[in-house]
Amino acid sequence: MAKVKNGPGAPGKPRRDVLASLKMASMEGISRAALPAEIMSLVLDYLSPVDLIRAARSSKLLREMAYDDTRWVQKLRRMGCWNELEARKHVEEAFGTIADRESIEQQERVKKPRPASGSAGPAATKPAISLNTLSDGFDKIELAPSAFTELKNETETDPVLGVLAQTKSIRGEARLEYGKIHAALAPFYNDITTSGASPDSLLFKKYHDPLHQAKILSQLQSFSKCDSTIQWRENVARLESATSIFETAAIKEFRHGYETDDIDDRMRKYAHVLYFLNGGSSAVELFIHHNHLVTRKSEFGKVADCIDAVSQRVKLEQTQAFFTRLSVAYNEEVSIINRAFPPSLKFATSFTQKVGQDVLYPFLTAIFDELHRINVEAYLTAVSGTFAQCLNFSDALLPIQNFTDDFDAFLDNVISKAYEPHMDLYLAEELDHFRKGSEAAVEDWDRQLSEQAASTESFLMSNINRQADKRDFLTSFKKVIMAPVNILPSFSTSKTSEPKSDDESVASDSSALKSQKRFSTLSSPSTPPVVEPPSTELAAKAAIMKSKLEGIRSIFSIEVALGLVHSAKSSLERAAQFVRIGGESGVAVKQQCEEIFVSLLRILGHGHLIVGFNKAVDHLSNYRPREHSEREQSGVEPLVTFLELVNVGDLILQMIDVFYEQELIGSKLTDRNDFLDPAVKAKKKFEQNLDERVAAGLNKGINVLMEEVDYILATRQLATDFNPSVSSDPHRRIMEVGVTEAATSVVDVVSSHTQMLVGSTDKSTLDVFNQEVGLRLFTTLCKHLKRQRISVEGSLRLISDMNHYFNFIQRFRNNELLLYFKAFRELSQIYLIDPSDAKELATIIADSGRFQGIWRVEEVIEFAERRADWYQVKRDVERAMYGIGCNVM
Amino acid sequence: MAATPTLILTSSDGVDITVDRDVAERSLLIKNMLEDLGETGEAIPIPNVNEAVLKKVIEWCTHHKSDPPSTGDDDDSRRKTTDIDEWDQKFMQVDQEMLFEIILAANYLDIKGLLDVGCKTVANMIKGKSPEEIRKTFNIQNDFTPEEEDQIRRENEWAEDR
Repeated sequence: MAKVKNGPGAPGKPRRDVLASLKMASMEGISRAALPAEIMSLVLDYLSPVDLIRAARSSKLLREMAYDDTRWVQKLRRMGCWNELEARKHVEEAFGTIADRESIEQQERVKKPRPASGSAGPAATKPAISLNTLSDGFDKIELAPSAFTELKNETETDPVLGVLAQTKSIRGEARLEYGKIHAALAPFYNDITTSGASPDSLLFKKYHDPLHQAKILSQLQSFSKCDSTIQWRENVARLESATSIFETAAIKEFRHGYETDDIDDRMRKYAHVLYFLNGGSSAVELFIHHNHLVTRKSEFGKVADCIDAVSQRVKLEQTQAFFTRLSVAYNEEVSIINRAFPPSLKFATSFTQKVGQDVLYPFLTAIFDELHRINVEAYLTAVSGTFAQCLNFSDALLPIQNFTDDFDAFLDNVISKAYEPHMDLYLAEELDHFRKGSEAAVEDWDRQLSEQAASTESFLMSNINRQADKRDFLTSFKKVIMAPVNILPSFSTSKTSEPKSDDESVASDSSALKSQKRFSTLSSPSTPPVVEPPSTELAAKAAIMKSKLEGIRSIFSIEVALGLVHSAKSSLERAAQFVRIGGESGVAVKQQCEEIFVSLLRILGHGHLIVGFNKAVDHLSNYRPREHSEREQSGVEPLVTFLELVNVGDLILQMIDVFYEQELIGSKLTDRNDFLDPAVKAKKKFEQNLDERVAAGLNKGINVLMEEVDYILATRQLATDFNPSVSSDPHRRIMEVGVTEAATSVVDVVSSHTQMLVGSTDKSTLDVFNQEVGLRLFTTLCKHLKRQRISVEGSLRLISDMNHYFNFIQRFRNNELLLYFKAFRELSQIYLIDPSDAKELATIIADSGRFQGIWRVEEVIEFAERRADWYQVKRDVERAMYGIGCNVM
Repeated sequence: MAATPTLILTSSDGVDITVDRDVAERSLLIKNMLEDLGETGEAIPIPNVNEAVLKKVIEWCTHHKSDPPSTGDDDDSRRKTTDIDEWDQKFMQVDQEMLFEIILAANYLDIKGLLDVGCKTVANMIKGKSPEEIRKTFNIQNDFTPEEEDQIRRENEWAEDR
């Protein structure tokens, strides 16, 4: 023990003695030069561990230098079994953070006794230390070594197998740790490096289990990194060749195991062997490249099976079958992987990628190319259909081992990769297809229209006997228009009155989940994808429209519009699926979707709607009521048609709006608030155009309406209406108080036309329209009045007429307008005054405030002149007025 | 460039030796000195190195003048081997005293490459030698007690020859 106690002091002393002893040495050697310590230290850097120890035995100074811990730490580090963190932890555990003198001594003490406990092997030394330190009373130190012992006991029976893994990173003990490793591995290493790679190597003789052989070989490779001898290159090469021989053999076994389906035993065993040898990458590679899944890919389905040669359509059931078979096969392989490979080996990525590249991609490409050649539409359906199936397929796949959360994302990525090359072509085709289709539809319709126009005298008149239908349509139609208001923003439960809408609203509620639903329909191979039941409001509208609109084909066809919207919808939905791909293609897809929408607007709006409106406006302006002999009670035919057109146009606008909300906003293809967005811009422009046309049409319409009113007044207003005395008919002589027929029909005509607009255009347009109608009606009535001759008896009828007009105008709820008609009412009273009260009459005429300042006095006099007895009262009135002192002239 | 600039080095025994500047600059000591002081045209005294050794050193520097500059601080991860190229091996075939002098000179002049080669040569000398032989070679006194010697041997049993 005394000897041992001396130990700790020794390393301290030489530090001071270093120079002295060296000087002594050099002095003794007189003529011989000696190297200073720092250079000796450099020299020692180049020595192999064995030589280093021999040098250490030559003198205390050299021992000091050779034992230097950093030297050994470096070696351990090079072998990859030094853990700086662990080392620090050990130091802190043992000594805290204070490195006082005592603790250092303590460390030295621990170091010393260990060798004393003899050469019984590393396992045996450890307990001895803890005993020693305990007996010394240094409790603190106990922690580390005792933990050690436990670990030691747990290790495998043969310490050689796990020697690298068991190496502890403890400062001050690096040399001992290295010694353990060296003792374990050097014999095998030297054997291989001297005798070369052969099956007779000591390693293969001593260990028969390939697993152990693999472990040792892999450790030897680490160990070889410390070889600093001159022939290290050869040594490493030899070791490598030995390893590769072993690896080849192991792979052979592995492959054999895979081919004979001996998964749990042979394959598993050699997968682990290869894993321990060098991480198992070669096994993984072999597995991936010779995978049954890839070699048997033709069994999953043939391209020819998936295309129906007769109808030139893709058979999605067949592709679905392909995916099902593929997923079954894939899951099989995954189970093999899970069983055979060690879980820490992560190669799901490469395997799945391989499957995507070698199986999925060629299959899809073949189908797409073929379809693209024969039928574009089938191609479009196939691309989006298979994509949906693909996503679905990815859900069915089992995750590989502990491949965690990002597995789904990763699968998506793989699928996207398979589809990416097709995207550009697909999107271009989709847009092109849609454009061509819709343009053809519009053209077709135009052609039909012109044929029809030729065959019928005037297509405007073709609806004439379907008045009832139209009314019916218009009412139900208003409901439809009102409905979207609650449906639009939130798809909230809409309580629309239509019988259909009950299930529709349910559908619309779930429309947010629609895409999901579509995917779920895909899971059963029998249901054809993409084709879905009419579950949106859009479709509901379409159904109603169809039934109600049979007759209306006059200017533009709502069916055509619906058809266009439908094809746009299916195009969009097909394309929209690919947004999931994300990245650049995702952006491209979004752009393409917007492009589809824009071209929908262009074709539908400009090509169809606007042209139709222009035609209608032309018709209106060419319309001369008097030229049409056959005349209906109910109204001005072109205006009715036009107003219906406005409604239909508005309906189409609503449809576009719903479409936009649902397809573009709903599926997040575009941002509502992005005013630079082409889709939004196009939509705005479309609305604007429509409004312009409506306004132009209304302007024309008012003209026509007024002409009609003129016509009615001219033809219906009998001379005797307001002047019964001139009538030859004795019955007419009786004073009547009712409204004249002319006034009734005028009000009827005007109100029926204005009513039609309610709810179809926005309120401000409607107000403007009403005001214009009112004003024009007013002037027309003024003119009309000036043409009449009114007796006192007839004035009662006039007053009731005026009241009738007034009541009608009241319905417009337009105060400004109402003033005019109030004035009218007042005016009509001047006819009621008895000729004897000329003075009174003059007062009323002069009272401009009475007429709200609408007429000047002269104008009022003009009206007064229409009295049947004007010439009798003229003088009195004029006198009275001058007498009052009014300025007449 | 008409002529490569030269320097004059004066050895410890007073001999002036003319060397190309780029050769001399293999020595970091000289290089740094020139950078600090500028070129004075005066002879540079190398007080610790005698003529024979200095010539030897210059010979090495001339041969290695186009070597890429050393990577500076040697990293731990670099494999330390005792590989020496053929020319250097021949160059180092000198008596031990000269070898040590060269190493010391290389150390003093801060010529990393030469120092490395020297150390490797010495390491190769040690290789395979018994402790006693090592002591003899380096003129070291055995300051171990027999017990201590025994202890080291036991402690490092793994390094024993088989």
